Amino acid sequence: MTVNLTERMKAWVEAMGCHLCVATPEGVPFVVLGRYAEVKTGGEVAFALAEDEAGVIAPVLSRNPRVAFGVSRQGGIRAAYQFKGTGELLRSGEIFDAVRARAKEEKGIDAGAVLLVRLTELYCTKPGYEAGLRLDGMTPEELDAWERQRWKDVPRKRN
Amino acid sequence: MVKFTKEMKEALRVPGKGGSLIYLCTSSRGGNPNIAAMRFVATHMDDKILIADMFLLKTKANIKENPNVAVTICHPLDEGRWWVFKGKAVDMEYGFPRDFDWYGANATDILNEWGNWNKAEPPDEVPPDIVFPKAVQRGVVVVHVEEVYSIEPGHVGEKVL
Repeated sequence: MTVNLTERMKAWVEAMGCHLCVATPEGVPFVVLGRYAEVKTGGEVAFALAEDEAGVIAPVLSRNPRVAFGVSRQGGIRAAYQFKGTGELLRSGEIFDAVRARAKEEKGIDAGAVLLVRLTELYCTKPGYEAGLRLDGMTPEELDAWERQRWKDVPRKRN
Repeated sequence: MVKFTKEMKEALRVPGKGGSLIYLCTSSRGGNPNIAAMRFVATHMDDKILIADMFLLKTKANIKENPNVAVTICHPLDEGRWWVFKGKAVDMEYGFPRDFDWYGANATDILNEWGNWNKAEPPDEVPPDIVFPKAVQRGVVVVHVEEVYSIEPGHVGEKVL
C-alpha cells in the first residue's frame, strides 16, 4: 500500500532534510544526513547524498535495504514523525540526474548518489499517548484531517 | 577508549540548558532500524549518554533484544554538533538490581540522580502543542559510547573519538 504524506509533512522533509538511519543485518545502526530531500508521488522520497555520505550507508544498504528517517533540525520536534521504507542507492538514471541537479542548484551539494526510499510505514512520534501511533493505514484525507487537528505550521525552506 | 570533549558534554544536555534535541537510533536483532527524537539527555562519566525512558516503545523493545545504538544531534546542527555516538545501551528500569553495572555505571546512582527527570529538568522550552500532559518515567537508558564519527558535510564517516 502506498504511504502518502501530507503537504505539511512534505514541506518539513524538504525544508529541513532528514536524519537517515540504516542497520546491518546484525543490528548495528548507522546514521547520515539527507540534507537535500524531495518527496515524490507514489510514496517515495529521494535524498541527494555526497560521496562520503553515500559511502557510510552503501555497504549497509547492499546487505539490508531497510531505512528509517526523521526530519532534521526543528523538524525533530515540530514534525514528530518517523518514516520507514526500503532504500535503493541510485548512481545513474533519470531520477539521479534530476535530483542531483536540483541539489546542486539549491544547496550546492555535489551528489555522488541518490537514496530513493519507498515508504512502507509512517508513525507519529509526538511524546505522550500518541507516540508510536501508526498512521499509514489512514486514507490521505484522514491523514490530512488528523494532522490539521494538531499542527498547521509549515517551515521556510533552508538554503 | 572514548572521552567526551567539553563541547560534546555541553551539547548532550536538555535543550533548555543549551543542549540538544537528539535522535536515538536503534535496531531490531534482525536489522530493522528505528529513529526517535529525545529531549531528556545528559552525560555521565566521560563516555556515557543518559536518556529518559518515558515514551519508548520500539526503541525499548529494540534495546532489550539488541544493545547496539547510535545517538546523534538532531537540533541544533549548525553549532558544530556533527557527531554520531555509537555504543551499547541498556534501559535501567525501576526494579533493576541496585548493584547492576553497565560498563561502570551503577543502577542505583543513575536512578537516584535521573529517575525523576521531568521534575529535575522540566520541559519548559517545549511548545505547548508538542509537550506531553503527564510524564511517566520508567527508567533511564544508559549508552556506553565506544566510538564517535562525524556527519559534518565533507567529513562524513571520519572517526572523531
